[in-house]
Formats: sequence, structure tokens, C-alpha cells
Amino acid sequence: MLKPVLSIKLRFLCLILFLCSAYYPLSAQQDTTIVIKVLGGLQFDLPRFAVKPNTRVTITLDNHDDMAHNLVVTQPNSRVKVVDDALKLAEKGAKMDYVPNSPLVIAHTKILDPGRMESITFLVDKEGTYPYVCTYPGHGYVMYGAMYVTTKPLPPIEKDLNVPEAHRQKTGAMTGHAGHQMAAPSPHPYPLKYPLHYRTFMPDCGPAAIAVALTETESYCFDAGKCYLRYAWSGGFVDNSEQWKGNGSKLTKIVGDVYWRDNTGFPFKVGTIDNTPEVHFKGYHFTNRLPTFRYLLNTIEVKETLTLLPNGAGLSRTFTFKNNKQSLFFVTKADDGITYKSSVGKFDNGILKIPAGTQKVTLTMKK
Amino acid sequence: MKTIRYIIVFAIALLFAQNSFAKYYAPKDSAADYYSVENIPLPDGLIAETGAIGFMPDGRFIACFHRGEIMTYNRKTKKWKLFAEGLHDPLGILVVNDREILIMQRPELTRIRDTDGDGVADDYETVTDDFGLSGNYHEFAFGPVADKQGNLYIALNLASNGAGIRKEIRGKYDSLSRPGRMYSCVPYRGWIMKLTKDGKLHPYAVGFRSPNSLGFDAQGRLFVSDNQGDWLGTSKLFHVEEGKFYGHPAGLIWKEDFPRVVPITLPVAKLDSMRTKESFQFPHGYFANSPTQPIWDNTKGKFGPFAGQMIVGDMDHKYVMRILPEEVGGALQGACIPMNFGSKMRIGNNRLVFAPDGSLWVGQNDHGWAGSRGIQHISWKGKTHLDIMAMNLTKTGFDLTFTLPLNEEAAKDLANYKFKRFYYEYHQAYGSKQFDVQDVPVKSIKLSADRKKVSLELAEMKAGYVYELRTGDIKTNDEKYLFNNLICYSLNKLRD
Repeated sequence: MLKPVLSIKLRFLCLILFLCSAYYPLSAQQDTTIVIKVLGGLQFDLPRFAVKPNTRVTITLDNHDDMAHNLVVTQPNSRVKVVDDALKLAEKGAKMDYVPNSPLVIAHTKILDPGRMESITFLVDKEGTYPYVCTYPGHGYVMYGAMYVTTKPLPPIEKDLNVPEAHRQKTGAMTGHAGHQMAAPSPHPYPLKYPLHYRTFMPDCGPAAIAVALTETESYCFDAGKCYLRYAWSGGFVDNSEQWKGNGSKLTKIVGDVYWRDNTGFPFKVGTIDNTPEVHFKGYHFTNRLPTFRYLLNTIEVKETLTLLPNGAGLSRTFTFKNNKQSLFFVTKADDGITYKSSVGKFDNGILKIPAGTQKVTLTMKK
Repeated sequence: MKTIRYIIVFAIALLFAQNSFAKYYAPKDSAADYYSVENIPLPDGLIAETGAIGFMPDGRFIACFHRGEIMTYNRKTKKWKLFAEGLHDPLGILVVNDREILIMQRPELTRIRDTDGDGVADDYETVTDDFGLSGNYHEFAFGPVADKQGNLYIALNLASNGAGIRKEIRGKYDSLSRPGRMYSCVPYRGWIMKLTKDGKLHPYAVGFRSPNSLGFDAQGRLFVSDNQGDWLGTSKLFHVEEGKFYGHPAGLIWKEDFPRVVPITLPVAKLDSMRTKESFQFPHGYFANSPTQPIWDNTKGKFGPFAGQMIVGDMDHKYVMRILPEEVGGALQGACIPMNFGSKMRIGNNRLVFAPDGSLWVGQNDHGWAGSRGIQHISWKGKTHLDIMAMNLTKTGFDLTFTLPLNEEAAKDLANYKFKRFYYEYHQAYGSKQFDVQDVPVKSIKLSADRKKVSLELAEMKAGYVYELRTGDIKTNDEKYLFNNLICYSLNKLRD
């Protein structure tokens, strides 16, 4: 007589398990592929993601950074321990891809040189928050993220201690948006005072730029390389949060609306209307926080101060000149929506002629 | 009753246990016994990514930060005050006087002055912006440092192909070095520049990747640190002299008479023959990751026994590194050794300066990479610890000179000296593994009559290797132990 392979009890249990697996859809195994890129400044582009329990996860690490990185998935609450263990590998680390021999490591890529990618696949069955981290020496304390194995909603990211600080915080946006006169918190250890300026990477300008807010809502951008006023805007100043984050790759953002741009390429001509001078930026001086820029047009020394016209009607630009033994021409474009007026000389077809030896010109630009 | 008795017995037992535990496991000697580390209080709202630090002649500490602030700190009142603002990632400072400083920011070297004496700067003068700027984030700028004649030196980072360049750039564009990880597409990226007193900026030396940053030693020699990466198998410190090429080829395209070739397509052997080797290699990871500012100890002994020696910070380690140069075969080479101050020291040690009172101030940064933020102040408690004062190459090995006389038995114990040697390859790929790693047995040990010098004879001495020494329980007769116990000598050349 043949004995049953499984006792009745066990068979019954199997039946239940089978029924559960068939009718409880969460336990059905699924496949998910996640691509994680390396951003500059020791960050994964993905600070967290969620999968359901019993998922076969494939993570592709795409390293486009300037440094070598790996990605190590660890057991819950084990990131720091794994990072510390990786450091302890000392000179053996490089050969071991900086991954310690540890049951806390679930899966890992090799050390990927810049430009390389690698995929790893592993199964996650139990609910939990599984860190992923780069264990390259020095990176692990900042470069990490969290894989949530759950069916529940995730906590709000700004309160999620499983993601790095840089992803949690929205760093101090500067001023409020147009019409919003709420005093934004200062991003500095002192209250903001106007006029206010930043040297920073500004959009639509050379890389040497100066952003100036004359008031909380009236601002302009001066190109400290090409030595001319590039554009002006109303409604706010700048948001430096992206520019200040990490290594400074991202541009400062303009808050408000640009109402004028210089479309001439460069407004001054020396001697004749087609003679563009060589420029040199020489610096700036503050009088009650208001900057006056200094630059050279060939050998002509220029100082330029910008102020607001009454009621925010536009800008007033005061130029002083030294060594201007030839006439100067100031070129404007008729279609830029601005009405120009000068204290000296006359506009002819949008071109202002400033006679040789003129010491001071005030140019108003009405919106 | 019974319970109480148990508790008493247990408590007594615990007392004994603790006592013997303390005896057995307390560190024999530690850096914290000799140095104190104090955090400088920072003003509320400051993001203390410290770009540079210095001292004004009147004793005020001055620091610049990532968001463009330059602030002074009065140690007596513990008050911070804004001196200047709005700078673009300032990473270098040179104090001129109580009212004037030079600041290296991304786009230019700027002279910042308080002309009206109200304590706040009002004039920002462009000293030089005569170098290119592509807008690539990696084009950081460092310095300035002044030589004895008053010339200034600055260092210009290469750009990274991890990011592009701006539509509008400053300087002449040249795409020749764009292939490769780090590139130089505008003039003098990858160079050390010299600003002479006539205000002209001259290319001085080439071949750098991320030279954060520069410093003169007590003898007036210029040193520049550079970071592991492409063409740098590990992080290094270079002794920089005019006209030389130090290894990263991207900047070569701006060298006069350099042929129109993509630098990385030149044979590695050719580039290798053109370059001047570093004086010091910092083994990557466990020794240093990103070396920072080199400065020399000008405290005349107020900061301990190493007056006149040079130290360099590192972004990833809770110590600075002491540099022990010597001239061999006409070039500088030598050893580097961690200098620990105790566990209160943070990582991210980007900037260093000695205060007039002989204490060391450290400005910390992370800048989107590993590191920390803030400012720490380190002072020497006045007792001399056991450390390696000098490591000198001999024909057959090394002489180690110590700060204190050694216990003879420990000093002569072969087990206390574990040498190995390896080299990092010079190549285009990012970093390098250690090649030809071999233990090098010590054959004999001699101790000098004053017991401060140990002469080690090694089984083999080979040029082109890092000789790494881990020491064991070397101690003095009064039980002071050598706790800085890893030292790496870059053996570029052998003694004749």
C-alpha cells in the first residue's frame, strides 16, 4: 500500500496556501525595472521609489557623473552599518567594489566608472524600507535613497528621513511671486536689504553675471563679462535654490517677468557706428547698497549706475565717461517696447550720439 | 533580602569588571589628550559651506561661504558681522589688511575693500578676469597665494563632461580637449596662473584637474593638491614650478607650441615622459579622498612639535595630513602621515589657517559632495605626543625620526614595522587600483643613541612605488604610544 506523500493536514494547508496565492493578488510575483541615474554632487536622481511585496526588482544604475559609483541595496536600517563596513575594507575595498561581505547586503552593482551602467535583479518579498546607497568611500553618508516595499502611501518627502537632506528640503526661495508681498525667509544669516545683488549664473547672460534687485520687485541683470545691461524684470528678484544646491551647476531662476532685453548684442560703438569697442570689466562700488559698475570701452572709462524711475515706470541709467575723445554711439532697438530719453544728444533711428568729451549722460528707459 | 544581597554582589562585581575593563581596553594614548577641538558657534541662518578662511591683522577671523557671504568673527565677543556679500562661489581668500581682502570667486579675482571705514565693504574691484569661463560647474577657481615678491597664484579647474557648457561663454572656445572626462575648452582651464604686479595674468604651469588648492611652504616652494580621477590614479600633492606639466593632459592645448592634437590621443608613454611627477601620493580611500588646502605651520611651536612643516586637509577624513618633503635626485618627494586631533574633529576639512595665537582653524564644506559644514578651532594642549617627525630615504631603507625617545624593546621589534609597496598607474581611466602590491620585509633595525631615530633596512627598495608603513605598538618608556600609525612615502627616486 502506498502512503500518501503528504498527510491530510498538510494537504489542507497547501490547499489554503494555494488558494491564498491565487486569490490574493499582492502575493503574485511581479517584475519592475527602475533606472537610477547619478546626478552630479553625490546624488541619485531617484531619492525613493515604491514596489509591492514579492516583486522581482531590476535596478539599472546609469553613471553619468565624473566619479565612480556603485549601488548597494541593504536590509532595512542597515545603510550606515554597510557604509561603515565598506570603509573598514580599507585598501582591500577597491577589489571588492567597496561591498562588504555581509548578510545585510541584498544586491549590488560593481563600481561603475563614469559613463558605465549595470543592472542588478533581486527579489523583495517582505514589506519594509530598503536603503540603496553608494558605498564608494566618502559617498555613503550623502548618496543614498530608499526602496519602499509596501502597498501603503509613502510619507511626504519633506518629512521622509529615508531620503537625503538635499531631497527633503526646499532651499530658501528668495522673494514671493508677483503680487505676493509675503516676506520670504532670508537665505542668509541676516535680513535681506535692498538694493541687493548676487554674482551668479543667470539665464540669457554670459557666465560672469550680476543680478541686482533695486527693490523687492524690480530687478536687472548686468553682464560682468560683456559689460552691458542684459535685461530687466518686475515682480520679484531671483531664486538661487537650485544654483546653491551642491556644486552650482544649475542656473539661478528669475522670479517675475522680464519686460526688457537688450537685443543689440552690445549697445556702445566708439567713433563710428560700426566700431564695437573692446571691453574690460573693472568692478563696482556701492553707495547705500546701490551699485555703480566700472568698465572700459577701449580706453574710455565708464561708470554706470541704474536706478528706478518713479512709480516703477522703468529704469534710469546714468553713465559717466573719461577719456572719450571720440563720439560714442548708444544703439537701441525700436521694437523692444521701451521709450528711451537721453539728457544729452539726440536719438536718430534709435541711435543716440554722445559727443566727444561728454562727462555724464542719463538715459531713461520707460516701460 | 535575598534580592538585595544579589544586587550588592552584582554591583561590587560590576565595579571590579569596570575597573579591569578600563585598564584593559582604554586607548593607550589618544590624540584628544594632546589637542582640543572646539566648534565655533555660527550665526542662525548661515549655510556654513566654508569656501575660505583667514585672519585680519587686527585678529578678526574672516570666512566666506557658498551663498556669497563674507563674514568676520570676533572671538572675544563671539559675534559675527557681515563684511561683503553677493559673491559667486568664493573659494579663496587673501587678507591684505583690516579693511581689504582678495577673493577668488568663479568669474574673477576680486579686491574687496571697505573704503569708508564703516566695517562693511563697499568697493569690489576686478583684479583679473583674464581667463575663460564656459559656465560648466566644475570650473572652480582657487587661490590666491602670494610669493615673497608679491606675485599672486591662482588655480583653474577643468570642466567636467558630466555637464555641458553655457551658450554664452567667456574666452576663446577650443573643442580640442573635449573628448575625455575632464576638458579645457576655454583658456587656461587646468592651469596654475601667475598674476604679476603689473596686473597681467600669465600661464605658469599646466596639467591639473581639480587643484583645490595652493600653498607655499616655509621655504617658499609652491605646492598644489589635486584630486583622484582621470589621469590621477590617486590624489596627489605637487611641487609646482614654472613651465612644467603635471599630468592631466586637457590643459595642454593652451600651451604655446603644443601641436594641434587631441591631448588624450597621445600615447600614454609620451605624456608620461613629458610630465613632472607629484611629490606626494595620498592612497585613495583609506588615506585621503580629496586633499584640500596646503599650509605650513608658522606658529613657531605654539601648535606642537611640527613648526615649519606643511599640513594638508582632506574632505573625507577627520584629520589633516602632515607632509614631510626631502630632496632626492634633484626633486622633492617624501612622506605623508595623518595628523589626528581626536574624534571631535569633523570631515570636510576644506580650508585651514593658523590664528595669531598659534591655534588651527578649519573651515568645513561639502559642496554637494562628501564633507560637513561649519568651522572648528583646534588648539594644542602643550604636551608632546609620540609621532614621526621625519621619514628620510636612505640607500637601503628609511630613517624614522620621532618626537620623543623610544622604548628600546618596542623600537627594535620587527613586528612593529609592516611595510608594503605598490604603485598607481598613470592612465586616462578614472583612478587606479594598486598595482604590484607586495609586502616588504624589514631586515634590520638600528636605534640611535638618543633613541629618537630608527634606521630601517628593507629587503628591497624600488623607485616608482608608494612605500606604506603601518606601525605597531611603538612607545616611549613612559607609555606614550604612536597613534598616527600609517605613513606613506612616495619613492619617486632612489638615493644614489
